[in-house]
Amino acid sequence: MSKEEELIEELKTQIIDALSLEDITPADIDADAPLFVEGLGLDSIDAIELMLLLERNYGIRIEDPKKRREVLTSVRTMAKLIESKGQVKE
Amino acid sequence: MQAYINSIGIISPQLTFDGSFLSAPIVHVESQFLMCEEPVYKEFINPVQLRRMSRILKMGLGASSICMDARSDVRPDAIVVGTGLACVSDLEKFLLSIDDNQEKMLSPIPFINSSHNTVGAQIAMMRKLTGYNMTYCHRSFSFESALLDALMLIAEGGVSNTLVGGIDEHTEGFFKIFNLLDFWRKKSVDNLSLFEGSHLGTICGEGAAFFFLEKNRQDGTLAKITDVQTFLKECDASDVKGEMDAFLGRNGLTEVDVDMFVLGRNGDSFGDGIYLDLERLLPESCGIAYYKHLCGEYMTSTSFALWLAAQMLHTQKMPDVIIKNPVSGRQLRRILIYNHHRRKEHSLILVENADL
Repeated sequence: MSKEEELIEELKTQIIDALSLEDITPADIDADAPLFVEGLGLDSIDAIELMLLLERNYGIRIEDPKKRREVLTSVRTMAKLIESKGQVKE
Repeated sequence: MQAYINSIGIISPQLTFDGSFLSAPIVHVESQFLMCEEPVYKEFINPVQLRRMSRILKMGLGASSICMDARSDVRPDAIVVGTGLACVSDLEKFLLSIDDNQEKMLSPIPFINSSHNTVGAQIAMMRKLTGYNMTYCHRSFSFESALLDALMLIAEGGVSNTLVGGIDEHTEGFFKIFNLLDFWRKKSVDNLSLFEGSHLGTICGEGAAFFFLEKNRQDGTLAKITDVQTFLKECDASDVKGEMDAFLGRNGLTEVDVDMFVLGRNGDSFGDGIYLDLERLLPESCGIAYYKHLCGEYMTSTSFALWLAAQMLHTQKMPDVIIKNPVSGRQLRRILIYNHHRRKEHSLILVENADL
């Protein structure tokens, strides 16, 4: 499994925990599916929780609202940002 | 000023959420607290909303849904909730996270849910009810205040019905703080032996009970609430008896017109004396029942007592587990609920058979 795939699996578990997504397992989450409206059907409060997750677990804070929307498109876009910032846990 | 109880939804430490009246085996535990027997909430609440809800919200929305679904052809004109401590678990979680995270990166959900009126607001949002919505947080007068408001709303004619509820939850923080004030037994106690011996402290409890009150009687009417009164003063049983006589008098009644007194005795030697002395001042022929060994002590426990009274009047059944003095040889027509909190906050609720 590549580092990105490992990170995606790690993120899926963290998202399930942070958003209390009962009855959903990491295998149920498509890494490329939209997080909001479709896919997991998340909303604006979940977006705040995901931003907190990135800041708390990876030290990444995004100020630009446009950039936030891009990053929170899918689990994969979140993983790519973490990788690009060099925050992948060894 | 009166209103008919046309449906009830209750989630309590007993198996009550299915609408049965103490027909399931009585929950019997040895503990310092009694916690609710809860239903599968997905049957009442959208799972997407459910995941953000703390236990008190699930209990409140679950009990109110059961109540409203039983009168599904009518929408509540008003929602009135009484709660002593409201969403205290969310508040505890939010305050602890402030400390844990050095006031940074705080999750918004416990903060959003920590308001006192969250239960009432969530019921309104879930059912798209835009009418009068009020929450009373008056310690052990919370449910009585909500009930009084509901009765006045109906009496004034502004609404024809009101959903009124009483709700409080047990949390670790609340238990610990009030334990320092000797509110609870220091050791686990068998809830069905709560009244044995003389001990300081009682068993902690919780519950959510919602009542659909309407101006008019329906086919399924359970009982009728005739009057509610609260009084705040440190007093003994003879003072309480005086207040009780005046309360009954303003309703054109005397103590002999009351078939049963449901008393809030909780097995705490700090306050049990008032109930025991009061019993000696009441006529020997009247029935006496206790209820806090079934639900524990909490600030809106009289909502459990009201459910009990309405069920007894409706079914004419008096379960042995609550009866101190039985009522025999006559119909149960009128019940007076008396409760006090720490000898200071006293309340009276008069409930009657719907036929009276």
